[in-house]
Amino acid sequence: MQFLRILLVGTLLLSLLACQQTGERPVMKIGYMNCNSEEETMKRFQPLTKYLSDQLNVDFQAIPVDTQDFPERFAAGEFEFTHTNSLVYVIMREEQQIELLATEMRGNYGSHTAGTIVSKKGSGIKTLEDIKGKRMIFGPQLAPSGYLAQYDLMLRSGIDPELDIAYYAIPTGSFKHEKVAYAVYFDQFDVAALPALDLELMTRDGKITAEDFNILGQSPIFPYCTFGARKDVDPELLKKFRQVLVDLSEAETVDYQGESLKVLASAWIDGFEALSDSDYDLLREMAKRANMPPYQEF
Amino acid sequence: MLKDRIDILLGVLLLICAAAAVALLTGQGSQASQSNMAVDKALERDIAYQAKVSFLERLYAPVSELQQAEKLETALLKLDELSRHYPDEAHGELLRGEILLQMQAVPKAIEHLARAVRMSGDYVDQNSPLSRRSMINQLVDVQLPKLKAAATQQTTGRLQATLKDLYYLQGRLAGGCE
Repeated sequence: MQFLRILLVGTLLLSLLACQQTGERPVMKIGYMNCNSEEETMKRFQPLTKYLSDQLNVDFQAIPVDTQDFPERFAAGEFEFTHTNSLVYVIMREEQQIELLATEMRGNYGSHTAGTIVSKKGSGIKTLEDIKGKRMIFGPQLAPSGYLAQYDLMLRSGIDPELDIAYYAIPTGSFKHEKVAYAVYFDQFDVAALPALDLELMTRDGKITAEDFNILGQSPIFPYCTFGARKDVDPELLKKFRQVLVDLSEAETVDYQGESLKVLASAWIDGFEALSDSDYDLLREMAKRANMPPYQEF
Repeated sequence: MLKDRIDILLGVLLLICAAAAVALLTGQGSQASQSNMAVDKALERDIAYQAKVSFLERLYAPVSELQQAEKLETALLKLDELSRHYPDEAHGELLRGEILLQMQAVPKAIEHLARAVRMSGDYVDQNSPLSRRSMINQLVDVQLPKLKAAATQQTTGRLQATLKDLYYLQGRLAGGCE
C-alpha cells in the first residue's frame, strides 16, 4: 500500500514536470512589408524571426504584407508586430498608436536614409530648376525615400510636381527602385526619384557607376525601416524585443533549416538602433507638406 | 729560420697582430655597410610612404574634388565604387567619415573616422601629410559633451558604441595606447 502511494505521487509529479517542459510557447505574428516579393521577404526575414523566437521564447510567425495593405491588415488585428518603412510606421502611429521598437540600419546613413532626384549624366539636366517640363519617374507612392522625400524636395524648391513637370509615372511590379534607375539610364525618362540607399547599393554591386547620374538634389536624412508593435502587447515583451534587436551583432547566428545563418546578413541589415518617435517628426512634416497619408486632406 | 724560443714567440705575436688588424679592418667595413644599409632602409621606408601618400591622393582625387565642390552624395557614390576594389581601406573610411560629417550624419561619421584611425595613426599624426588631427580634435570637442549629455537621458547600445568611438579618438589624440 505504502509503495503504491509513493508510486502514485511520483507519477503525478513527473506528469507535472513533463507538462511544464512541453508547455507550448505563445504564438505571435510579425507582419513584414514586402519590398520586392513575398518570396524575397520570407527568405530575408524568416531567420531573424526564428532568432527572435529563440531569444524571446515566443513562436513568432512571419507574414509577408503588401505595403498598400499594411495599415488595414494591422488594424484588422492580423499581426502584433510590424516591420515597415518609416512612412507606414508614421501612418500606423497616428491611426493605431503603434509602439516604436527599433529602427533598421543599412548603408551610409545607418538608421537613416534619404531621397534623391537624379538625371542621366550628359542629359543637360543639371539642377532642380532644369526638371521643369521634363518626364519624371517616381518610386512607389508609400515609399518615403522613393516618392515622398522627392515630392517634398520639389515643393520646397518651388516646383509643383503636379503642374511643373510634363509627365510622371510609377513603375509596376517588383524591383521598382531599380526600374526607376534604369528608366533614366536607358533614356525612357529624363528624371528619377531614387532612394539614396538604392543608388549606393547599385554602385557597390557595380550595376551603375558614380559618373552615370547627376544628383540634382537630396532630401535631409530621416529614419529608415522600422519595427513596431501593437499598443496592447505586454510592455515587458516589447522591452525585451527592442533589447534583442539593438543588441544584435554581425556575428550572431541562428540555426535555421539545418544551417547556421548570420542573422543580420541574411536579413540584409547592418544593425538596429533605438530611436525616439520624435526622430520621425521630419518625415511627418514632409507628409503634411506633400498632402500624403496620414495627413492627407481632400 | 726560427732559431730559438724568442723567435717563435715573436712570430706568434706577429701573427696575432696581423689577425687583429684584419679583424679590425673587417669590422669597420661591416659597420660602414650596416650604416649604409640603415640609410637604405630609412630611404626605402620614406619612399614607400611617399608612394603610398601619392597613390592615395591620386586614387581618391575624384572623391576629394566632389567633396570640395560640395557634391557630397556623388562623392559617397564614388567611394562606394572604389570600395569594390579596395574594401575597408583606411583612407576611404576617413573620407567617408569626413563626408558624412559634412552631411550631419554624425554617429556614422564618428564610426568611420574611428575605424580609419584604428587602421592608420597617420590621421592623428600632426606631421603626416594625411593628418586630419584638427578636424578630429574639433569633432571630439563638439560631440563629446553632447553625447555624454544624451547618454544621461537615454542609454542605447548605439549611443554607447558612438561614445566609445569618440573616447577612442580622444585617446589617440592624447597619444594614448589602445
